[in-house]
Amino acid sequence: MKNRQIFIGLTCCLAIFLAIVAPLLFNSAYSTHIMTMCGIWIISSMGLNLILGYLGQLNLAHGTFFGIGAYATAILIQSIGLPFWIALPLGCAFTGALGFLTGLPTLRTKGHYFPIATMCLGISMYYVIARWDDLTGGARGLFGLPRPEPISVPGLFEISFDSALSCYYLVLIFLLFTFWAIFRITCSLVGKRLAAVRANEDLALSLGINTMRDKVIFLSISTLIAGLSGGLYAAYMGSLMADQASFLGSFEILLNVMIGGCGTLFGPIIGGTLLPLLTETLHFLGSLRLVVYGIILILVMGFLPQGIVGGLNSLFIYLTQRRTGSRLETAVPSSTNEETRK
Amino acid sequence: MDLLLQTLVNGIMLGSVYAMVALGLTLIFGILEIPNFAHGALYMFGAYIAFLCISSLGLPYLAALGASMAVLFVAGMLIERYIYRPFYKQPVISSFIVAVGLIFILENGALAIWGAEFRRISPPINAIIEILGTTITAQRLIVIISAVLLISSIHLFIKKTRLGSAIEATSQNREGAALMGINTSFVGQATFGLGTALAGVAAVLVAPIVLISPFMGESVIAYAFIIIILGGFGSFFGAVIGGYIVGLLESLVCTYITSNYWEAVIFGVLVLVLAVKPTGFFGKEH
Repeated sequence: MKNRQIFIGLTCCLAIFLAIVAPLLFNSAYSTHIMTMCGIWIISSMGLNLILGYLGQLNLAHGTFFGIGAYATAILIQSIGLPFWIALPLGCAFTGALGFLTGLPTLRTKGHYFPIATMCLGISMYYVIARWDDLTGGARGLFGLPRPEPISVPGLFEISFDSALSCYYLVLIFLLFTFWAIFRITCSLVGKRLAAVRANEDLALSLGINTMRDKVIFLSISTLIAGLSGGLYAAYMGSLMADQASFLGSFEILLNVMIGGCGTLFGPIIGGTLLPLLTETLHFLGSLRLVVYGIILILVMGFLPQGIVGGLNSLFIYLTQRRTGSRLETAVPSSTNEETRK
Repeated sequence: MDLLLQTLVNGIMLGSVYAMVALGLTLIFGILEIPNFAHGALYMFGAYIAFLCISSLGLPYLAALGASMAVLFVAGMLIERYIYRPFYKQPVISSFIVAVGLIFILENGALAIWGAEFRRISPPINAIIEILGTTITAQRLIVIISAVLLISSIHLFIKKTRLGSAIEATSQNREGAALMGINTSFVGQATFGLGTALAGVAAVLVAPIVLISPFMGESVIAYAFIIIILGGFGSFFGAVIGGYIVGLLESLVCTYITSNYWEAVIFGVLVLVLAVKPTGFFGKEH
């Protein structure tokens, strides 16, 4: 296991290094844009992974929370005139609070209520956003949002976010921060309680874990992260359409998580990098692209339910078994939660 | 008075459609315990098949209705067998995700084939009927009457025939039914076909009144789920009565209060029901 931790640590460092130098290497507006979008989708996917992967609850309104975060941030900037750096945390807090309120009635019961209720929430919120002309601009959407204000320490330095490249690094910093936060959460006692809830909720309950509280808190953290990515999206793109809050967003984020590996720390990163690249290559297919995505989702569920990371993990275990010839490794659960434990 | 009567008729008409869609959904849920998120997409598909039959093949409305029903029955059986069944042994969440994938295959498949523009089916009888001083189009009455006939015949089918009893027994207790020699996997397949066909009929009946588009199923499936939560999962009468309640509510709210935020209103109702009585009004404790 020691070797594996070093391996994972090295891969992380390499990935961060690549993420920092990649836009300088490609040096084109197009590739910077794609990478920024990847970053935003990865943050959002990490949020969904928290509730879907670690808690086993399917939130079909995750894309809607993304849209709500985007609209909240944009409206605070445009209508009230708040600076981005205040509007973004407020927008996140609003989305998180909404997630909390959604969780209270829907997470109380086990089973099917949560995905159904969130699906209904997603569809109804989409219509509210599309029709509330005074607040959201309705079908026209919002446009002309300013980029984030420069951060300056007088006399020392000033960082402005006017260029696409600086926005990319802004998203990257938020991405790393979110990753670190999720890593800490999954390592913490709460994370372990959560694993217990997912494995056997009745048993966890009988051991005195307040499962309801943990689930609701996790849902609000997860929606808060969705709101964060939405707010970044709004500031980066400068315009918003009601479609951003539609069911389609939830589907693409879900696909990111499932392809990468549900319930793994790195899954959303891999899925969130691959899928936007796939989207760019499949543009010529038009609406058939989403048909292909639907088929991919079903195939992944059938043949690779743990996603790419889970598949690699099983391969890794299989190879070590073959090399050492020992059966000891089978005692290690194949669940990829393993890598988040100390 | 005039407006009220028209609103009520409209509400009952919408309620008939919702009742049929929700009934199919609840039958499937009762047997297979999966919320078929793709039910709304199949509803949309039913409307397009009728549209295809009428516009390309030149079939009459009734034949298109039958064709759509037959195609959806077979499609439902195939979907159950080849898409849902491989996932029964996996955690339930897998079937939910598969259903979401299915929605996107169907909706965007329809978008690729028929395009995003709205389509129309012309009504079979182009008459306007006058009742109590209000005018009502014949198609509205056709929807209301066919829904009553269909729902009662399905009730009879479940209560009086062998297969119907098998469906009821399986939904009450799957293991028990299997021990009594009922082929539960065939029952599941047949129920899936039946539920899907019902959604198709509902879509074809309402198609002359509303417009057909690839995303017409999205709001309907949300209402259908709210209805079966209201009525209780797997409950026959819960789905039917809930369907009429939601239809009437929609018609009244949209006419007298707000049409823009109707979706938010019905979602509020859902949250209220979940908070007060999560098993619905007719549901059994799970």
